[in-house]
Amino acid sequence: MGMDRREFIKSCSLVAMMGLLFGCRKVSLDALAAGEPGLAQFEEEVKLAISHAKRQFDLVKVARPGLLEIPGASSVNRFGMAIDLDLCDGCGKCILACNVENNVPLVPAEDAARGRFMHWIDMHGSAPFMCAHCGKAPCERVCPTGAANHTPDGLSAMMYKRCTGSRFCGANCPVQARKFNFNDARKLGLAHQFNKNIPLRDKGVMEKCSLCLHRLQDDRLKFKTSLTVGATAEEWRGRGVKTACSESCPKNAIIFGNWLDDESPLVQRTKNRVLYAPRELANLDPSVVFMRGRR
Amino acid sequence: MYRFLMLVGLVLFLPGACALGYSVFQGPSSWMTDARTFWGTPISLFVFWIGLAHAGTLISAIFLALDIKLDRRTALIAELSTLASLVIAAVFPLVHLGIVENFYMVAPLLDVRGIFANIRSPLVWDFCCIAVYAALSLLFFATHLKARRNPTLEKYCKPMAWLLFPLVLWVHTVVSLDFATTFVPEWRGAFFPVYFITGAIFSGLALVNLLLCAEGYRVRLLERLQLICSWILCAIWAWEFMLKGSFCASAFIFAGLLPQLRMVAFIRESKWGRMAISASVLLGLFLERQFLVSPEFGSPAMASFGWVDWGMLAFSAGTFMLVFFGMLLLLKRFMEVDGSYFGEVDGRDIAEVEEAEHKDSPVRLGVEKTKKGFYVHPWSSEEYHVLRLPLLLGIAFALLFSLWVWGRMPFENVDLSLANVIPLFYPVVALVTAVALYARAYFVEKAFALHRIEKILAASVLVLAGTCAGAFYAGGASERGAARDVLSENPENRDLPVQTWNARCATCHGSDGKFNEKFVREFYPVPQKLDLLRLDSLGEDSLVNVILKGRVNMNAYEGRLTYSDALGLVRYMRSLAEKEVANDSAP
Repeated sequence: MGMDRREFIKSCSLVAMMGLLFGCRKVSLDALAAGEPGLAQFEEEVKLAISHAKRQFDLVKVARPGLLEIPGASSVNRFGMAIDLDLCDGCGKCILACNVENNVPLVPAEDAARGRFMHWIDMHGSAPFMCAHCGKAPCERVCPTGAANHTPDGLSAMMYKRCTGSRFCGANCPVQARKFNFNDARKLGLAHQFNKNIPLRDKGVMEKCSLCLHRLQDDRLKFKTSLTVGATAEEWRGRGVKTACSESCPKNAIIFGNWLDDESPLVQRTKNRVLYAPRELANLDPSVVFMRGRR
Repeated sequence: MYRFLMLVGLVLFLPGACALGYSVFQGPSSWMTDARTFWGTPISLFVFWIGLAHAGTLISAIFLALDIKLDRRTALIAELSTLASLVIAAVFPLVHLGIVENFYMVAPLLDVRGIFANIRSPLVWDFCCIAVYAALSLLFFATHLKARRNPTLEKYCKPMAWLLFPLVLWVHTVVSLDFATTFVPEWRGAFFPVYFITGAIFSGLALVNLLLCAEGYRVRLLERLQLICSWILCAIWAWEFMLKGSFCASAFIFAGLLPQLRMVAFIRESKWGRMAISASVLLGLFLERQFLVSPEFGSPAMASFGWVDWGMLAFSAGTFMLVFFGMLLLLKRFMEVDGSYFGEVDGRDIAEVEEAEHKDSPVRLGVEKTKKGFYVHPWSSEEYHVLRLPLLLGIAFALLFSLWVWGRMPFENVDLSLANVIPLFYPVVALVTAVALYARAYFVEKAFALHRIEKILAASVLVLAGTCAGAFYAGGASERGAARDVLSENPENRDLPVQTWNARCATCHGSDGKFNEKFVREFYPVPQKLDLLRLDSLGEDSLVNVILKGRVNMNAYEGRLTYSDALGLVRYMRSLAEKEVANDSAP
């Protein structure tokens, strides 16, 4: 049985061709092996999470969030949200919108049965609750690597690549707003990258609500590139940006904005309202608050 | 006997190592983690073993510092158990991490990106304090071990005990503060340091008593102390129950009730009875740690205590037995020299034996101490004279260190207060003092000689420590000014960018912003044209970065230009490009 040179080169180039074609595939190998879950599964999980709703927070009155007290804080921007408890009916659409926007993975069945979800938004009573982006964030204080840090604009941010997974931040969050990636969701076929601009998080990394940081960054970049020379009078205030949850809310009960900008919908809508925060967070200067009743 | 125990250790170790390997591979989901705090078995094992690691040295150092007679063999066993426990305690925080290979990010080392470990985190205090403690207990053990062969070293035992006594309390307090400074309601409380230290001493006494049983003798003093510790711990548990309503019944039974059986003569006098009591204390305290670390213990939201957890437990016990008895076999000839005596095995009073020994020994150090009822004022005691100068050095160094950190010299963008430095204060004092003490003993008094291997080892440890300190300093200082510069940028001065451009940039980029084609075409890749569209799409920040950091053939101008200079240049570049657009569209 022999193979002449021509045959040999032919088969070699065929193999190389196959390899190249395989390399050009759009779907990653892991995804091919596991198969990505569809939107329906995410909807199912959100329903399950709502049925597992945690007990209601003990809310106390807080003052309107003001200037941040951290070194290097911006004097014009402090982003935050207010959730109108008079309007919210606990439909849970915000959770799904958040999952799709931020590629939040599903959890394995046994975790779901225990009520351990990766959702950045939890249901407390019948109201959504996410990370409050506290001005004096206890999670950032204890993070040994500086992966949890505060941006000058008042977001409590996460550097995923810097995180070693010591989970000290999770232990020190009084309201358990942080979620830990116990599993490699991609390998288990539990992740779906709906939003290509957001990376899927690795196993062993903490994550939480980012207040849709990427939307703010995109807007800031757009603002900066449209700047003209010499015209420095105007500062970027993040006007017009909305988080995924506030966009999806059918009752418009989640209001995103800039606490330091008088034109921001957040400031306008919270005028003459009484602001509340969970008792555990009241002294930590939260940026995400609840409102109920008129003054 | 030791070989048999090592075999038992090996039997425990091998399956344990498999479980440990699996847990590292699988990550935190494989063991029991708390639903609320995310912590689990590795942390409770860490707290358990770090407690044991503090007790041995503490017992030995306290007894030495307070002039309570403890025979050499028991003291050495206690110290050795400390070192073996430290090895195990070092493993579990690593296993606990979500991404094990990133552990080095906790250490405050050099980082050119300007990202820096958060030195405000209690974990960083922990890391530093335990490292200092490990170094000093090793030194203490070595001194103690060699003192019999080289009696001049005896002089350094007590000063070291004086140093270690507060250090142990300090370090264990810092470990307890990991918990007490958090917002977890079950972990809050100012009594936590006392609680942790009592638990540590209690478990350490139980461990030493257990090891003494294996040795075949007993020390009644330590047994009595163990009983007393159980009462103190019960009092603290009662306090906690009244305060928070949390109570761990199994820990109370094993570590609170069962040790009281020592009061029954029949059990006390039996070797197996004593072993059972000590083992029950260890078990109870482990359960107590588990209960403490996982506040949701037993709730349905938590995973159950599975085979990986059992495996890790077996791993820790097995490793301890292997390391401890292995070291004991290795160091046998150093430990059992003439005149070493065993607890109360021959029934003689220790003090008598020691006095007899001192009469024989050629060097009569600390002789006045052997006389009963003889009081020496601390400030005129011998150990104080030995310790005085190094201690002064240590305190001076620690003060300088605090001032340095407090002045925020290295840490421009970290909000650091004095409270963040205090946890490191005494460890720094102790470390510098010990180094100065032994440096003097070696170089000035020539109290001991080192083998070649020991010399190399010591030198490499010093070099390593120096490198770490240097990297710490450099890491803190990287990219210091940049953050501040942004805030104070001042593009008012319009002439300066023009001058800078013509002096430095025009050679390649041309004074009109078009390339100096003659010159530039020699380069590959040919630079992009700096037209208006491209400048706008890049944005000011990235262009400033190109100027400061350089790119492809462009040199880095950091150090020669400040941030605001570069910003001025970028804006000037843009105005040149605008002019060109105007010129193009004009005709």
